[in-house]
Amino acid sequence: MREITFIDAIREAYEEEMRRDNSVFIVGQDVRGAIFPHTKGLVEEFGPERIVDTPIAESGMYGVAFGAAQEGMRPVCDFMFGGFSYVTFSECSVTTGQYHFLHGSQHPLPLVITAGVGTGQRLANDHAMSIHGTFAHHPGIKVAMPSTPYDAKGMFKSAIRDNNPVVIPWHMGIMMLKGEVPELGDDYVVPLGVADIKREGSDVTVLANSLQLQHALTVAEKLAGELSVEVIDPRSFVPFDMDTLLTSLEKTNRLVVVDEDWESGGFAATVSARVMEQGFDLLDAPVTRVTLPNMPVPGGYMEEYVAPNPERIEAAIRAVCA
Amino acid sequence: MALTSDQMVLLYRNMVRADQFNKMMYRRMMQGKLIGFYHPAEGAIAPGVGASTFLNQDDNLSPHHRGHGITHMLCKGIDIKYYLAEHTGKETGCCKGRSAFHFSFPEHKVYMMSGFIGYNFAPVVGWGFAAKRRAQGQVVMNCSGDGSYGQGRAHEAMLMSQNWQLPVIFFCENNGMSIFSTAQEMHPQENIASLADGFGMPSIIVDGQDVFAVAEASLQAIERARTGGGPTFIEAKTLRFNEHDIGTPDLSGWEERSAEEHEAMRKREPIRIATERVLGDSLLTQNEIDQIIEDALAEIEAVEQFADESPIARPPVEELMAGVFAD
Ligand SMILES: Cc1ncc(C[n+]2csc(CCOP(=O)(O)OP(=O)(O)O)c2C)c(N)n1
Ligand SMILES: [Mg+2]
Repeated sequence: MREITFIDAIREAYEEEMRRDNSVFIVGQDVRGAIFPHTKGLVEEFGPERIVDTPIAESGMYGVAFGAAQEGMRPVCDFMFGGFSYVTFSECSVTTGQYHFLHGSQHPLPLVITAGVGTGQRLANDHAMSIHGTFAHHPGIKVAMPSTPYDAKGMFKSAIRDNNPVVIPWHMGIMMLKGEVPELGDDYVVPLGVADIKREGSDVTVLANSLQLQHALTVAEKLAGELSVEVIDPRSFVPFDMDTLLTSLEKTNRLVVVDEDWESGGFAATVSARVMEQGFDLLDAPVTRVTLPNMPVPGGYMEEYVAPNPERIEAAIRAVCA
Repeated sequence: MALTSDQMVLLYRNMVRADQFNKMMYRRMMQGKLIGFYHPAEGAIAPGVGASTFLNQDDNLSPHHRGHGITHMLCKGIDIKYYLAEHTGKETGCCKGRSAFHFSFPEHKVYMMSGFIGYNFAPVVGWGFAAKRRAQGQVVMNCSGDGSYGQGRAHEAMLMSQNWQLPVIFFCENNGMSIFSTAQEMHPQENIASLADGFGMPSIIVDGQDVFAVAEASLQAIERARTGGGPTFIEAKTLRFNEHDIGTPDLSGWEERSAEEHEAMRKREPIRIATERVLGDSLLTQNEIDQIIEDALAEIEAVEQFADESPIARPPVEELMAGVFAD
């Protein structure tokens, strides 16, 4: 298989889906000129009618996606940085999540929301926050985040084909990560709602995603010989693949959840509660979480030790195995 | 409103300072001596200087994000060393080194900055509301770019400021660009100031490369706001000489900005325009100008030294947690 970068994998997904389905288009700010390279060069093939730049007007910009989806198109709305989606929060969370259900489940809303997210650039809260947990809190919206180029391409394709609103941010910290991807024209998809065991192990399960998955894999490798760490990538937060996690816990009986989101009210909290409810008897130790402390994400030199990192993940693994 | 010679000399001095500070920030970003990113202000320093130089200490100022507000803040009497220390992640930074590029000088009524373009439009209404209730002649100078007027909240702020006759100045620094997008494409009319017409708000369009013209317009709007005359919209037509932020390609739409565009822009270099004026009007001699430049460079050297010699901010998480809520 060939190797491409994570961000190029997303672009390939756009290209293939836009060629396949004329109703797919991208709306955002400065996507034609490609402020992030996942839209680089697309305007040359698809033209400014399908690679659409709007003024700095997130409500209107998201409105293009929302309304066009109701009209049967399949828009991808790119918020550039994840935090910018909060500028139009009532539309893209509340109204989006309730649209299908509250109106009698008669009219789907097939749209994709994406944006770069995550720590690593020292830019602080508004440019560094994660959004998956907040969107996952709103029923009616699927939420997923890929961790490898293979998953990125396959999951973006799934998201575009899904008949529901799908929030699929990508982590800026793995933008240039390289990985194997099938040849062009091999029309594979990675279904939403299916977790992936990224490394097998028997002593402890670590659930981690995106940049934090890379950190978890690094730690697992470091601990090999001493502790056998199973690393699972949830890939989707909503719907979440509880079966894969519980099956793993039958073997390891210990769980560390790493989530680059705040401790309070995030995905890691949801998973911990569900494991307690559905897998209490499997556990030999309390579930341990590695998350952001409940403060606005600081920038500068603090980001590297405030955010989850390999040291904190290793400490949590050791604690849960002690 | 004709400017006095003293006012013109002060404006000129601030232009030189703003220009040199911007050059310093550009250089430090290239040297890897700044945290995060930098949006250079070259070509666009006159609007901020003209808008901010004659504000009082108790007037509110929301600086434009371009140049990271330095142009505006230094004219309001803020010591930039605390901001440079912040931008280099130091303990002595104005936000204790935890904010990267954000600034906060509440004692100067420069409260905040957010990475969300157009964020300013919400709080300025509240500042104007408070100023009106306090009735002490305080004004709100609300500076932001042409692009920021795409946000719905810009229109909400104009609506309420005009309804309530709040002392808010909507100061639009129109450099014709918003990252790669041109104002020509993103705004339906040539002048952003046309927005004011719909609200019945008085507006002034001014050459943003001419600091003296900008200052005259600003003084007129400040006077109106101070005396209960309500808001004014000022559009300063300016330019962006560099790419949007350092390292991003310099595109218009999805093509490189042309050499001709750059050449034409450079003819409207604001420092040169100001220099020709002060020399032509015999307000300053070349020797005095050289001295002003030297003073600015000395000021900047001290600012950099302060930032560079300050310790890196790496407080423990517990200490940070203690700062999430006020007592
Ligand atoms: C809510 C939001 N949307 C988009 C951006 C990305 N962005 C940063 S600066 C900028 C352009 C701003 O244009 P303008 O207001 O004209 O100021 P200029 O940069 O031209 O000085 C954009 C789109 C952002 N920071 N915040
Ligand atoms: Mg602009």
